[in-house]
Amino acid sequence: MAVTSAPLRPELGGASPAPTLPRTGVRWSKFRRRMITWLSGGTVVLLILLCFLGPYVLPLHPPVGGSVLNSALPPGSPGHPLGTDVNGNDVLSRLIHGGQASLTVGIAVNLIGLVVGGSVGAVSGYLGGKSDTAIMRVLDVLIAFPSLVLVIVLAQVLGPSLPNTIIALTAFSIPAVARIARSSTMKVMSMPYLQAAQLAGSPWWRILFRHIVPNIVPQLTNFLMLGMAIVIVTEGALSFLGLGIPAPNPSWGNMVYEAQQSMSATPQLVLWPALALLVTVLSFNLLGESIRDEVNTR
Amino acid sequence: MGQNQSRLENAPILTVENLRVVFSKHGREVQAVNGLNYQLSSGRTLAIIGESGSGKSVGVRSLMGLLPPSAKVTGSVRLNGRELVGLSEKALMSVRGKEIAMIFQDPAASLNPTMNVGSQIMEAIRLHNPMKKREAEVKAIELLKLVRLPSPETRIRQYPHQLSGGMRQRIVIAIALASDPKVLIADEATTALDVTTQAQIMELLVDIQERLGTAVIMISHDIGLAANYAHDVMVMYAGKVVEHANTKSLFSNVQMPYTKALLGAVPQLTTIPHSRLTVIGGHPPDLSNLPTGCPFAPRCPRATNVCTAEEPPLERQNDQHSYACWHPVGGQPLEAAGTADVLKVDAQDGACSESSTSTQERAVFASSLDERAKR
Amino acid sequence: MTSTADAQVTSPRSKKHGSFLGRTAGSPLLRLIIRRVLLAVPLLLAVSLLVFILLEAMPGDPARNQAGMDATEDQVEAVRRSMGLDRPAPERYITWLFGFLRGDLGVSSVSGRPVAELLAERLPVTLELVGLAFVLSVVLALPVALLAARKPGGIVDRLIMVFSMTLLAIPNFVMALLLVLVFAVTLQMLPAIGYVPVQVSLVDNLRSVTLPVLALAIPMACFYARFLRGDLGEQLLGAGYIDTARAKGAGIWRILWLHAFRNSSFGLLTLVGLNIGALVGGTVIIEQIFAMPGMGMLMLQGVISLDLAIVQSCVFIFAAVAIFANLFVDIMYAVLDPRIRYGSH
Repeated sequence: MAVTSAPLRPELGGASPAPTLPRTGVRWSKFRRRMITWLSGGTVVLLILLCFLGPYVLPLHPPVGGSVLNSALPPGSPGHPLGTDVNGNDVLSRLIHGGQASLTVGIAVNLIGLVVGGSVGAVSGYLGGKSDTAIMRVLDVLIAFPSLVLVIVLAQVLGPSLPNTIIALTAFSIPAVARIARSSTMKVMSMPYLQAAQLAGSPWWRILFRHIVPNIVPQLTNFLMLGMAIVIVTEGALSFLGLGIPAPNPSWGNMVYEAQQSMSATPQLVLWPALALLVTVLSFNLLGESIRDEVNTR
Repeated sequence: MGQNQSRLENAPILTVENLRVVFSKHGREVQAVNGLNYQLSSGRTLAIIGESGSGKSVGVRSLMGLLPPSAKVTGSVRLNGRELVGLSEKALMSVRGKEIAMIFQDPAASLNPTMNVGSQIMEAIRLHNPMKKREAEVKAIELLKLVRLPSPETRIRQYPHQLSGGMRQRIVIAIALASDPKVLIADEATTALDVTTQAQIMELLVDIQERLGTAVIMISHDIGLAANYAHDVMVMYAGKVVEHANTKSLFSNVQMPYTKALLGAVPQLTTIPHSRLTVIGGHPPDLSNLPTGCPFAPRCPRATNVCTAEEPPLERQNDQHSYACWHPVGGQPLEAAGTADVLKVDAQDGACSESSTSTQERAVFASSLDERAKR
Repeated sequence: MTSTADAQVTSPRSKKHGSFLGRTAGSPLLRLIIRRVLLAVPLLLAVSLLVFILLEAMPGDPARNQAGMDATEDQVEAVRRSMGLDRPAPERYITWLFGFLRGDLGVSSVSGRPVAELLAERLPVTLELVGLAFVLSVVLALPVALLAARKPGGIVDRLIMVFSMTLLAIPNFVMALLLVLVFAVTLQMLPAIGYVPVQVSLVDNLRSVTLPVLALAIPMACFYARFLRGDLGEQLLGAGYIDTARAKGAGIWRILWLHAFRNSSFGLLTLVGLNIGALVGGTVIIEQIFAMPGMGMLMLQGVISLDLAIVQSCVFIFAAVAIFANLFVDIMYAVLDPRIRYGSH
């Protein structure tokens, strides 16, 4: 009795492990995922449009320099749809201008993180060996810090201002992006097609731009969305502590701080910036998750 | 093995009647299993053969309620006269492992990497037969001896990653045998193993069956394996049985072109070296949208108009052999006329025609069948 | 801040396909522990050096701050000498480092008290917050994740996932204020600010830390619950050993707890370790909001008043805590995972 064993061929399906998943279910969950992607992506786009074009298009009061006579008007007051804060500034206008600051910081920090961290990580993973070890050791030092602690010290060293807030926050984003870029690069480097390209004598720049960059971009995009959420929250924390966007210029963080001072009298003032942060962070998190799912299923 | 008892001699322990499994999600239905009928007696082995997606795996998983909640099972499964379809999850829990046990395909994945193998066997023992840990350990060592694992006293403390693939599959079998099940299902139990280990494991299963009188259902895509180890063979396609026969009768007298195609896909010693193996062109049909007529018709070299118009019933040729086909091959090599048919059908369907058309492949096809027929 | 690690955490199962033949090569566990500890030492040194360099770059003149607004140049110089600031930077770093190893952390330029003494007062508060928040986050996440995973796609699962996603999106300082708004301002159940030492009253102590601990723990708990739910669900769908357990006749809770969770625990452990840093960092802002006299508040005041001795020690200790937490997690991982314990590579 010889045991015949057919080599596994796709047609004959070497394996039939799980029951074939009903295609309709896949289609539905795909549809739901798409919907979440569109919703979160749409919210992000809307937020960006509102915060960057709003100040030019909408008839907004200036975010600063309000009169104390208008202090703490309730929402729905004439001319102030969301009311005013204790200093008599229009809450809606401050929300929009504050969002502009938050988003500017978020986008700038992540772009810098992407370019600097992405290159450092990709080069480190591409070179490998001693230079890789050296680069990673340096990044380990930065990552060893609780990020908020490092950012607080940096922000104080640099002094509170929008550009300095951006610089301080890159201390968090560069090493994080670099690590992800490095691990993705190393994954690509071990792929047979890359080794084939190397053996065929492709120059390094061709390998880097044709093979490595396109393959690490999806991973990085996913992280950038989460990075936006993290940076916006950290910026909020910094401004809340008075080390980020300097008052009286609005930022969601320092709006929360100001509202805290009068919380028992005007609790709704905490809610507006809190809601703004919630919606923004939620949208970026969801968008990041959708992108990750999309990357993983591919 | 291979003793040709009549099925009537032994009262069936498992009777499956008109078993259907439908996955329904958000209004659409996928018919994974479409009317299975079979009986199984103690000490007998039934092989269920088919491509992936043919419903063979779903069909047996449904026996023990191991399908996701989206699956709807209808029909009847009687184990020793007790109806299993429609049992509550809790009642099924007492069937699983105790009455029907299952061995899965990949021994590397079937064992929990974080538990030592002893506690995994002991868990299976104590779930259906509450006893002290020490007693369970004694029983576990006995089981490991039964599956012929060397030095079971030390192995029992080891973790799956410390064992070879064959050893792991022995452990999985020991787990399956923990509560002395009446029916043992081996779902591609040897597919992930190398040929030598595969033979060892199959011989072990045969040996255990002889000793314990267990009824075995083996699921495989490997028709050669079925020929060697099963008493009966059931060939499934698109959730339906297309040929069901005593092993001897099946291989001496193949009727269904699909079975024949499966045979053609097995490499033979008589095959000319470096010649291409036949593969079955095209793909299995979409189970949520089955065509009328014979489901295999779009891929069948013998298909004619009647095949696409009307579904052939599963007909009894004799006591030992039934098949569902309008144009059974009847053990004869294919005539030349078949080739033209294939081309026509392939063109119609736009299915890939690279596979079963060249005359060389056809020769392989035929010779493999001759080889089988000689046995 | 809580989602930092999300992108980096891969399931431990995916990267473990060790050799299949068991062999015991010496004690891989011990070697692993020694290697990790040896790696941590240069890291700590580098961290302390970076802190020192950062503080060198701080604006303002600590000597002038110390001497006071109306001090003369000579007085400032005298203070500078007494603080040792006239010596070159490398020398001062070495002095600080050896002082730190001896337990001499310098003197706070604002209060004039030894930093070690201040830390001894403040550290217990922060440790209580971090410890309780850590335990609570895991204790909350576990049952929630198991409950959600029991019926993947069911109503309970969906509610939990939506709820946790929303809570996760609330930054901890906002969470803190919302908690104050509800439990202190509106319901007046718990104190809004202040810390009662445990020596004074255990009950009051617990009441005083409840809100800050919740503010720290809730976002973390959501993060862990989501990770755990995802990992459990993945196993329920595709892991062979889950099929085996079901085929044995095990019930869903037994499967979840004994089989699936055991395998998820390693990934969870990694995640928890990575988040200790975020948790410790979170105390800086939470202590500020709740007026908790802990290390975070000490550090923040030090940063704002340019009290270098305090900032240096606090920042270093924060980083050291995060490094040690990760070290501990690595070792725990090795101790718990049989694949590492018995060596598979």
